[in-house]
Amino acid sequence: MSRRVVLVDDHGLFLAGVKAELGDAVEVVGEAGTVAAAIPLIEDLDPEVVLLDVHLPDGSGEAIIDAIAPGHPDVRFLALSVSDAAEDVLAIIRAGARGYVTKTISGEELAAAIERVASGDAVFSPRLAGFVLDAYRSEQAGSELDELTPREREVLQLIARGYLYKEIAARLDISVKTVESHVSSVLRKLQLSTRHELTRWATQHRLV
Amino acid sequence: MPLPAFAASSSDRALAGVCGGIASALGVDVTLVRLVFALLALAGGAGIVLYLALWLYADGRPVWLAGLGVVLSGSLLLHAVGLSGRAVAGIALVAAGLAVAWRHGAGLRPDAPLSYAGYALVGVGAVILLAGGGDAPSPLLAPGAVAGGLLLIAGPWLWRLALERDAERSARIRGEERADVAARIHDSVLQTLALIQRHADEPRRVASLARRQERELRGWLYADRPLGDDGTSVVAALSTAAADVEDVFGVRIELASSGDAPAEGALVLGAREAMTNAAKFAGVDEIDVYAEVTETEISVFVRDRGSGFDPDAVPEDRRGIRESIRGRLERAGGSASVVSTPGEGTEVELRIPRSAP
Repeated sequence: MSRRVVLVDDHGLFLAGVKAELGDAVEVVGEAGTVAAAIPLIEDLDPEVVLLDVHLPDGSGEAIIDAIAPGHPDVRFLALSVSDAAEDVLAIIRAGARGYVTKTISGEELAAAIERVASGDAVFSPRLAGFVLDAYRSEQAGSELDELTPREREVLQLIARGYLYKEIAARLDISVKTVESHVSSVLRKLQLSTRHELTRWATQHRLV
Repeated sequence: MPLPAFAASSSDRALAGVCGGIASALGVDVTLVRLVFALLALAGGAGIVLYLALWLYADGRPVWLAGLGVVLSGSLLLHAVGLSGRAVAGIALVAAGLAVAWRHGAGLRPDAPLSYAGYALVGVGAVILLAGGGDAPSPLLAPGAVAGGLLLIAGPWLWRLALERDAERSARIRGEERADVAARIHDSVLQTLALIQRHADEPRRVASLARRQERELRGWLYADRPLGDDGTSVVAALSTAAADVEDVFGVRIELASSGDAPAEGALVLGAREAMTNAAKFAGVDEIDVYAEVTETEISVFVRDRGSGFDPDAVPEDRRGIRESIRGRLERAGGSASVVSTPGEGTEVELRIPRSAP
């Protein structure tokens, strides 16, 4: 059974490319290029996963999550972007996206990420893992954000270094399921942190 | 010490052409030289002896004969100035002894063999001088003359010693520079040449490779751009390097980072070389790079899921890992390690301590 997916991105060429690459792996039920068009479309189609760009012409991906999430708790969001500032990426994760991947991801990997997000797991790209490690190392943020456990840090560092879940599991001698639960736990901690804390970290980050 | 070439002048001669030869070797007027010899000749005949000694030397006779003449003329000069015979004899012995020691050991360097005869002469001369110092016409003249004589003898040697030390230091600096240049050339020019050979039948690609290399080389040679330093942060420099490698080899490089710091040339260049190696040898089209900056150090991980290799089986002369990565990092106070399993991929880990802010 392929997952029902809505794509939200304002770059037509990119949308066409993603659709072609995904092929039959997922069922693309709708496409939108703006926040205004995406909200009614998602409410109408009620897909399993929304693949959305961080930046849209009339707002951010965050605005879509804010509008949809309260009424549709089963819709999962996966953020997709070229290369963004750490604060934007973390903001969309905090808003409720279950993962972040870069647009350079291969079709096969993207399909796997969509599957993972649809089944309730988190997807961290190496880039996002780096951002998160950085956010938690910053001392002021650390005092207010829920601390990461040493194992969670280890898992994040390996993700940042480009290890797949099964490679992390082999290296740390734990099961893939355990790796997934560490990542989901990090995601939960991130989403529980207040906007204020992350913004403060992001501001510091930009100043570094 | 290089002495000006000296030969008796055949064109500018009054007697044997010695004065003309000296004048042309030193680049002074011949009349001035003749005047000095005339004055020296008045000092107990010292000028005449010196003239003869130099003529013997210029004629190709043994050097010691000329040296004897020089010592003799110096003695006559000192005597004429008013030193007692005893003091003059002492000084002459010291000078002759030093000359012997000098010739024998090719200088007074610590590692040169000692000349016992030379030092014995010096010792006897010194004893005579010290014992007979009392009968000098003035209490200042004898020690002054001795000091001046010694300075004349030791001066050239000290001068040569300083030159040698300078030469050694610049040789060492040159060696280090050469290692850096070699690493740089290996990373850029040699890689490009290899690529050009592989794509010899694609003129456009060859031209673009050549243009790109030229730009890079010019930037390095003429714009005096420090190696690996584009004036920005580690992450910015790594992403520039990654873009370059992507461009040249057609791979995709996924760069992640945590924290940032001012760029470290050796680290960035080492990482670039690791990316290049992965792009060339691993046979993959994606490479992961992760940079982590902590309070104390910067680490960069370059990972591919490619063919891998046995690090122990890499020949010593393969410059890539040994020199371009490990050597470079170690020269900068860091370290590098390579973990590779045939069939599973390679991860290069580079670490460098953060320089004090």
